Amino acid sequence: MQTKENAIEVRHLYKKFKVVYDKPQTLKEQIISFHRKKAEYRSVLEDICINIKKGETVALIGTNGSGKSTLLKLMTKILYPNAGELKTYGKLTSLLELGAGFHPDFSGRENIYFNASIFGLTRKEIDARIQDIIDFSELGDFIDNPVRTYSSGMYMRLAFSVAINVDAEILLIDEILGVGDQYFQDKCFRKLEELRDGDKTVVIVSHSLDTLRELCNRAIWIYKGKVQMDGEPNEVIDAYLQQVILDHKADSKNQVIEKKDKYVGHMVIDFPQNGAVLSHNEKLKLQGWELSDCLHARLEVMIDRQEITAIDRIERADLLIIYENQFGGYATNPTPGFHAEIDVADLVNGTHHISVKVYDENEQLLCMEERKFELI
Amino acid sequence: MSLIKELYAYRELLKSNIKKEIRGKYKGSFLGVLWSFINPLLSVLVYAIVFPYLMRSTVDNYLVYLITGVIPWTFFTTVMSQGMASIKVNAGIIKKVYFPREILPLSVVSAGIINFFISCVIILVFCAIFAVGFSWHLLLLPIAALLQFLICLGLTLAFSAINIYIKDMEYIINFVINMLFYGTPILYELSGFSTQVPAFLLWLVKINPFTHLMQIYRDIFMYHQLTDIWSWAYVALIALVCLVLGLFIFKKLEKGFAEEV
Repeated sequence: MQTKENAIEVRHLYKKFKVVYDKPQTLKEQIISFHRKKAEYRSVLEDICINIKKGETVALIGTNGSGKSTLLKLMTKILYPNAGELKTYGKLTSLLELGAGFHPDFSGRENIYFNASIFGLTRKEIDARIQDIIDFSELGDFIDNPVRTYSSGMYMRLAFSVAINVDAEILLIDEILGVGDQYFQDKCFRKLEELRDGDKTVVIVSHSLDTLRELCNRAIWIYKGKVQMDGEPNEVIDAYLQQVILDHKADSKNQVIEKKDKYVGHMVIDFPQNGAVLSHNEKLKLQGWELSDCLHARLEVMIDRQEITAIDRIERADLLIIYENQFGGYATNPTPGFHAEIDVADLVNGTHHISVKVYDENEQLLCMEERKFELI
Repeated sequence: MSLIKELYAYRELLKSNIKKEIRGKYKGSFLGVLWSFINPLLSVLVYAIVFPYLMRSTVDNYLVYLITGVIPWTFFTTVMSQGMASIKVNAGIIKKVYFPREILPLSVVSAGIINFFISCVIILVFCAIFAVGFSWHLLLLPIAALLQFLICLGLTLAFSAINIYIKDMEYIINFVINMLFYGTPILYELSGFSTQVPAFLLWLVKINPFTHLMQIYRDIFMYHQLTDIWSWAYVALIALVCLVLGLFIFKKLEKGFAEEV
């Protein structure tokens, strides 16, 4: 097998952030606070060693605050390590934040020039690419309108098109796969696949694990500032999901259960769909999930006026990750999924209602959903 | 060396940034870019009205004398105030994208020197009106401007970086620049100093590189003579020291920009 060169080399890298509660801004404050205790440091990355070879498409995964975005910023040279070294070989572009340097008063076309020049392209190189960029963004005639008149979707499309067409050898992407509508997302995905199959090196940070499974040929899991696992994406992602559930269990045990007057919850019923039709010899399949910030929430399933008790609760690591990212510790229940197969043989023909309600520990209704189904 | 290579790679960004600096400053005002020429003219007008009454010995062709001092000085002050803030005002972009950070102060100073060259037309107009005339010494103007450019670049590099860590720097430097204005023969002539001036003050004015720079500019525009070679050498030395120190400080501090800004 041919040994490839490294595109990114990370050697014994450490990164700490200063934790400053009340940052001395002025000289006076700095002099006054000079004698106070030394600033505290929070270690974000510890002894990271990674080699990324040219042409690899690597996913960086980890929970919020695990340091994966910091690692990406270190690779772009926005941040610098406290110790250790990080070397990159080849032209590097980072898509950490789309539309950096966009000026709202200038037209889309002018902003392409400005944005691309930040990525280090010369006028000639931009001229050569501008048609590709405009075509990819599908903005059409809007390209000559000022960017401030764009919808946020158009803005993102333009920004993504510039970044992806820069033709870097190394591309660093942070959580931007959710740009635009489904159609544009698919297009971006295809472009990324194209880059992967070419000789580009791509490093992606994302929480859309299914996308990563499909796109990447290597995954690195950063856990509490260290490389926990590095290898085949499916294995690494599965191990990561396992750990999320384990951590969650440990967390909810340690959590001081605070009584609150008001809890927030969310519920979705995947099956049955409203107006589903089924016959007597079939079983009614109920499936969905419920998340709330109350640890002892109670689930109540009723068909018409009859309560159903045989409900299986299911671990759903995917939900925990998504909700933790959106609400930060919102989900306290480690088994948010529910599933049941209900015997409907005894029910009469006609329309029936199935309702799922979630009550908190004060017996207050958090949320409810209702579905109609037809029995024939 | 690698810095020069990188700056060359990012030349498009440098170019568009310089354009933005020149045009963007007076954006939205009625007279636009013209203000960068009207401003020094107006201050010359004020000095020309006020100072002849304050000073006993007036210089020949005081208006030309003033304008040859005020325009280089405006170049220095505008570049300093904008350059020092250049990292701070671009905080948003610094946190998100990598590019050689030197581009920010460099584009401010480059915009400044372009403005200065255009402003020199005003000096030439004054020279023509007041019959001072022109000579081949104008060929030395680019060299003098380049030396001033390097001094400004060194200072803005250093202070734009320090300004991120110590926010007071801006105010301290503004005060120093204000003092320097009176320590530089812009409004007065060095030879016009009365003998009562303490030797220490005179010495301060003499080690001020801008004193020599003003002499150089006036020799080019007004007196049509070669300035003492030691003045040139002194200014060149200061420029070199500023640039080296400025780059050193900037390189030392730039790694923390994204965290501190």
